Amino acid sequence: MALTLVSSNKCAGGFQKVFEHESTELKCKMKFAVYLPPKAETDKCAVMYWLSGLTCTEQNFITKAGSQLGAAEHGIIIVAPDTSPRGCNIEGEDESWDFGTGAGFYVNATQDPWKTNYRMYAYVTEELPKLINANFPTDPEKMSISGHSMGGHGALICALKNPGKYKAVSAFAPICNPMQCPWGQKAFSGYLGPDRSTWEAYDATVLAASYSGPQLDILIDQGRDDQFLSASQLLPDNLIAVCSEKKIPVVFRLQPGYDHSYFFIYSFMNDHIKHHTKYLNA
Amino acid sequence: MDLYEIRGGRLGVIAEEAELQELSRESTAMETYNVGSPPSPTAAEDGSDGEEDAFKEGETEGEIILIRDQLQEKVAEMESFAGHLEEIFLTVEENFGRQEQHLEQHYNDVLQTLSQRQDESAARLEEEKKSKLEALYGQLLACGQALDASKELIETAQEVYRSQDKRLLLKTVMPTIKRIEEFAKDEVDLTLSTCLEFNTPLADLSDVKTMMDSINVVPAPSAPVINPQMPNSATQTSLRVCWSLFSDDTVEYYELYYRPVLEDTPADSTFTPQVSKVTLKETHCTVADLLPNAQYELWVTATNTTGISPASEKALYMTVPSPPVIKQRECSSCPEAALIRWESGNTNPVDSYTVELREMGADGTESSITESIVAVPTCQCLIQLQPGQRYLISVRAVNIGGPSDRSEPITITTTGTFFYLLEDTAHPCLSISEDGFTIFYGDEELPISAMALDDNTFTRCVAVLGDLIPVRGRHYWEVEVDDGTEFRIGVAYEDTERNSYLGANSTSWCMRHILSPSRHKYEFLHNGWSPDLRITVNPVRIGVALDYDRGTLSFFNVNLEQHLHTFHCHFQNYVHPCFSLDNPGALTVHNSIEAPEYTFI
Repeated sequence: MALTLVSSNKCAGGFQKVFEHESTELKCKMKFAVYLPPKAETDKCAVMYWLSGLTCTEQNFITKAGSQLGAAEHGIIIVAPDTSPRGCNIEGEDESWDFGTGAGFYVNATQDPWKTNYRMYAYVTEELPKLINANFPTDPEKMSISGHSMGGHGALICALKNPGKYKAVSAFAPICNPMQCPWGQKAFSGYLGPDRSTWEAYDATVLAASYSGPQLDILIDQGRDDQFLSASQLLPDNLIAVCSEKKIPVVFRLQPGYDHSYFFIYSFMNDHIKHHTKYLNA
Repeated sequence: MDLYEIRGGRLGVIAEEAELQELSRESTAMETYNVGSPPSPTAAEDGSDGEEDAFKEGETEGEIILIRDQLQEKVAEMESFAGHLEEIFLTVEENFGRQEQHLEQHYNDVLQTLSQRQDESAARLEEEKKSKLEALYGQLLACGQALDASKELIETAQEVYRSQDKRLLLKTVMPTIKRIEEFAKDEVDLTLSTCLEFNTPLADLSDVKTMMDSINVVPAPSAPVINPQMPNSATQTSLRVCWSLFSDDTVEYYELYYRPVLEDTPADSTFTPQVSKVTLKETHCTVADLLPNAQYELWVTATNTTGISPASEKALYMTVPSPPVIKQRECSSCPEAALIRWESGNTNPVDSYTVELREMGADGTESSITESIVAVPTCQCLIQLQPGQRYLISVRAVNIGGPSDRSEPITITTTGTFFYLLEDTAHPCLSISEDGFTIFYGDEELPISAMALDDNTFTRCVAVLGDLIPVRGRHYWEVEVDDGTEFRIGVAYEDTERNSYLGANSTSWCMRHILSPSRHKYEFLHNGWSPDLRITVNPVRIGVALDYDRGTLSFFNVNLEQHLHTFHCHFQNYVHPCFSLDNPGALTVHNSIEAPEYTFI
């Protein structure tokens, strides 16, 4: 597949680039950001996939999260795709900020009119990695995933649904139990239909209860002053309870004073990169 | 006895030998030459003879070599013999010269004494003569006077007799006759006032006699000179003493005296240390059965038939100290260094200590190279080492007498960080296992009396500190607990408040596990504050990683290789690992573990 370079900026000794391509899963042009650390000039690097949250594009992460210095130091390639298909002209896709454009929820939609284009799960877990491995100096065995909010939910479910595929997983203020929160309920009923049993396949809390596979080590940071936490959109306690019971290792940190913004992400990005590095460079 | 002649003679002997050799060589050479010479008038005869001779030639060659070697040996022997003779000759000459000198002096002394006596006697006689002469002269004078008086009288009488004046005669004749009568009555003492004999007393030559006698008698020896202590000649219980004679006295035997020098001289002299004595013929002695690290006073006298010499100067010698004892439970190490502590092993102070270390190979063989650190002033030493090695370390105590034997060694492995617990900081309710690495908080109530009044123990928090080596860099250790143990583990400054709880103050940082009825709770405490964390899998083996340079203290679930939390703090001083149990239970410390890679990303 052909990649078109959209932008390239030298950053932290490496390069922050943005590419565009024709996605086969999403049937539209998709952009994604990729950070190449200095190590990539000479060696194969591990790859961390970052999934952004509601309303984001590939730009928010690369301009606000402050990931490049850490990535350069530890020699990690960071790939940040967009959050939904764009320009598909689906009716109603721009109606709300938490459904449709910019709110793909990292599922493979089964309902019309979404099912043709809204296949973010397949895009993130299949198409994108193939594309990245074919075009950049990557070590295909060394992949990890992380994200924020809706992207946090995406990271968790990708890891839980693909035991062994991701060497590390972490999340910032993830939507842990979408089936139980307004956001999730809205998105799932739209993309997956009314049958709640089909929602379970995309709910981290449910998936954790039945997870079996190589041991995970999940790092979750959550701002204590996050308005969405208090609005019961995120529900981390549910996930923690299940993981405690199923002995899935999680370290959940409630950070006092922090909110839901990229300022919060920026503050702990280094810790997460270190967490990923431990497993990617092992 | 001309040395030159002898030498010449020897050379002559050698020359002769050499000549002989030459001759024999020549003759054999000539022989061979004769045998080997091809052109000869009687060719045919020589031909057959030639063969035999050729054979003989070979034999003769061998014989010649043999004889030559023997002769060479002989020559060498003769040379050394001659050398010996020369030495003896020189010695005898020397001795003779000395004796000659000695006798000369002696006789000179005697002669001097005699002439002195002679002078004295002469002087005395002179005196006597003088006095006798004076006496006689006096007498003579007196006689002369008497004579003159008599003469005068006679002349007067004659005059009177001859005078014509009969009247004057009658007047003076009577008194004159009286005078003459009186005078005639006077006895004339005609005895000599002094005797004519001279008083010649026998000269007192007794001392000369003794001097003459003593020519053949050897003088008593002069005081020997005792040597100062030679380095490394002493052991813990013995001293090697040497002395020498100042002059070439004859000595029959020596007597060595010694006694210990006491630290404090007692006020009363009732307790003075006993003086021991050794009689011996050599000029050296090894005195045994002494105390270690003690000072002794030694002196020596020399005795011969004439008498005993004065005592030599008193020398002070010191025995070597006893070896120190390494305190196993007070030694700690890390990959780059080890801290060794020991007990002196001696009641009295020593000058310094020497620490010795040898590397041990993987197969248990010791390296032959020993590294030594000398002049260690106190009973501890921080040694720099290479990581990932095994070392045998021992200590010696050193004083003037030399170094003691090696102490029992301690094995140090520079893998990971190793430390024991500081048992005297332990709360009274805390008991520590035999091996020193497991702590227990028992159920039983301890009586108040058991509560130690020691400043160093924790009084409220049932805690204990570890003896971490004071070296910066990275340290790592692990703590084993079980699911239900309520603990606090972390680090604290050495002077952390003993009446406070770990983590509740600014001098300690710890991970705390609280067991509540519904769930497990984990806190990471410093200054009483902890972040809000949930951990879904309870760690039972916790890795603690301390990095002084980065200022971090991290905790890990070792079994999952999961990072739990990191404190960021610039440690002002060295810290100690700290452990406490908040409820009855136990925990075990594991160290000497190489820090896993993920602990110091």
